[in-house]
Amino acid sequence: MSGERAGGAGFRAVLAALAAALAGALALSAATGPVPVSLGGLVDALLRGGEDTPARVVLSLRLPRAILGMLVGGALASSGAAFQALLRNPLADPYILGVSGGAAVGALAATLFLPAGASAVLPACAFLGAALSALAVFLLARRGGGVSPERLILMGVVVGAFLNAVIMLMVSLSPPGRIPGALYWLMGDLGQGTPKRVAVLLPYVAGGSLALFLLSRGLDLLLLGEREAFHAGLDIERVKAAAYLTASLLAGSVVAVSGLIGFVGLIVPHGARALVGSAHRRLLPAAFLMGAAFLVLSDVIARTASPSGELPVGAVTAFAGAPFFLFLLRRGGGRA
Amino acid sequence: MNPALSARGLVFRYGDREVLRGVGIDLYPGEVTVLLGPNGSGKSTLIGVLSGSLVPAAGEALLFGRPARSYPRREMARRLSSVGQSLPMDFPMTVEEYVALGRYAHRGLFGGATREDRERVEGALDMAGLACLRERPLSGISAGERQRAVVARAIAQGGDVMLFDEPTAFLDLRHRVAFHEVVARLAGRRGAAVLVASHDLSLCAEYGARVVLLSEGREAAHGSPEEVLTPENIRAAYGVSVACDRNPATGAVRVTPLRSEGVREGS
Repeated sequence: MSGERAGGAGFRAVLAALAAALAGALALSAATGPVPVSLGGLVDALLRGGEDTPARVVLSLRLPRAILGMLVGGALASSGAAFQALLRNPLADPYILGVSGGAAVGALAATLFLPAGASAVLPACAFLGAALSALAVFLLARRGGGVSPERLILMGVVVGAFLNAVIMLMVSLSPPGRIPGALYWLMGDLGQGTPKRVAVLLPYVAGGSLALFLLSRGLDLLLLGEREAFHAGLDIERVKAAAYLTASLLAGSVVAVSGLIGFVGLIVPHGARALVGSAHRRLLPAAFLMGAAFLVLSDVIARTASPSGELPVGAVTAFAGAPFFLFLLRRGGGRA
Repeated sequence: MNPALSARGLVFRYGDREVLRGVGIDLYPGEVTVLLGPNGSGKSTLIGVLSGSLVPAAGEALLFGRPARSYPRREMARRLSSVGQSLPMDFPMTVEEYVALGRYAHRGLFGGATREDRERVEGALDMAGLACLRERPLSGISAGERQRAVVARAIAQGGDVMLFDEPTAFLDLRHRVAFHEVVARLAGRRGAAVLVASHDLSLCAEYGARVVLLSEGREAAHGSPEEVLTPENIRAAYGVSVACDRNPATGAVRVTPLRSEGVREGS
């Protein structure tokens, strides 16, 4: 299969370029901010640690935030790629099946009903909300021992609409002053990047991304439609359930620590497809690296673009990302 | 000789519409069976039931004497490959990547491609005349080329039983002939039991050893092309008058539709 070999070399080059872009983005993120850090200082801080201010800023503030951006961006892009294959819908993203609404309800409930000091449990509540709504959509869409993409999307829309109503009710009935924090959280924010949060998130992202990668040939077949996948020998219901739950878990876990960051999970998979094609053994690693680099860079822009404070990173992803990915998609149009 | 795939009394309903009303069929190793019948006569449904993707209300398909649905998915796909009518394609995938997916059941979820996998994919691309299109995206080739890609996927998958649902609908004459040549080789050399659903009566008579004619969910006739392709059978099934004679060059049955009396009177 000469195509696989020739494509393999090109694929490795693309992967290396994306990895280099991610490393560059991480370094830029660690070096950028109110306290200037030179490249030498950065290397110094990384290798030797140290107690001077630049080293502490890099190690305890900026690097955790950059790594959080990497994990969140990579997880969103992987999850989005999986949902697009699973639902056979190029417009699918990680939030399409109720994960976002569930997470928002969980986060708002934590903000409204728990004492003010309990913000540490907000991620756990958001994760619980996301997991419950994803599970509800899956169970509602099941019929006759199987789920169809059409029913999943339908149930996702219905559950999402219901959760939106709950969100509006919570916002309008809550005492003033408690909501702005939660609303800002909804816009997406990587400011929660403490070493502890990163450590909590890491196993979810690593495990979820690996599990999706192991499902990649099944996802390839699902792209062809269920009948084709069935004829090729795929146990379609098991693969769909595994991919759905894994992709939802990935999305729910990153939403819990970073809020709702749009665009990455929708568009980055298409950008990665334009570079490496639709085979998921290539697409998933490429999408992870591209999403990670993209979100880290977007966060650098969000932190530095405005002198009056941070912008929501979710706004930056769409604002800065749309032109870039439009270019990529038009250029890669030959493959699509 | 025992049939590779055998079914009796198949009944299938979509809602309360009965599409198969007690159909039986036997497919023998090394033999090409042609499935004929008008639109809506149940050909695709029969192929769906035989391939295990549709569950019949009554009756059962037996693959080598065992209920087809009792096979684990992957083992089933190694023994039986099936080609449907449509191929939706909204995502970029090259012809070669697509054909290689036919090896899924042989490769497993994690395993890489073996030498045999590569040879099978290569052979399938060659047989379908797609070697020069391998790098092209599925969305960027013609409907006929895509249909050949689907056939190539099934050839790469292989198996003792191969089911094709109208595989030549979009093909030009040259590729229709090429398809039937390929199928004859699969049956002759690999000993596959092949079922081809088609509307091309004469070409099927040329290549098919056995013909099954479906009409309104029932078997209207089965046997050799000479036995099945008679003016009476075809009028009963299709409602069309035809003349059946022998092709002087090959000796195979030749079916020629006759213009209806109304048209002839008017002309």
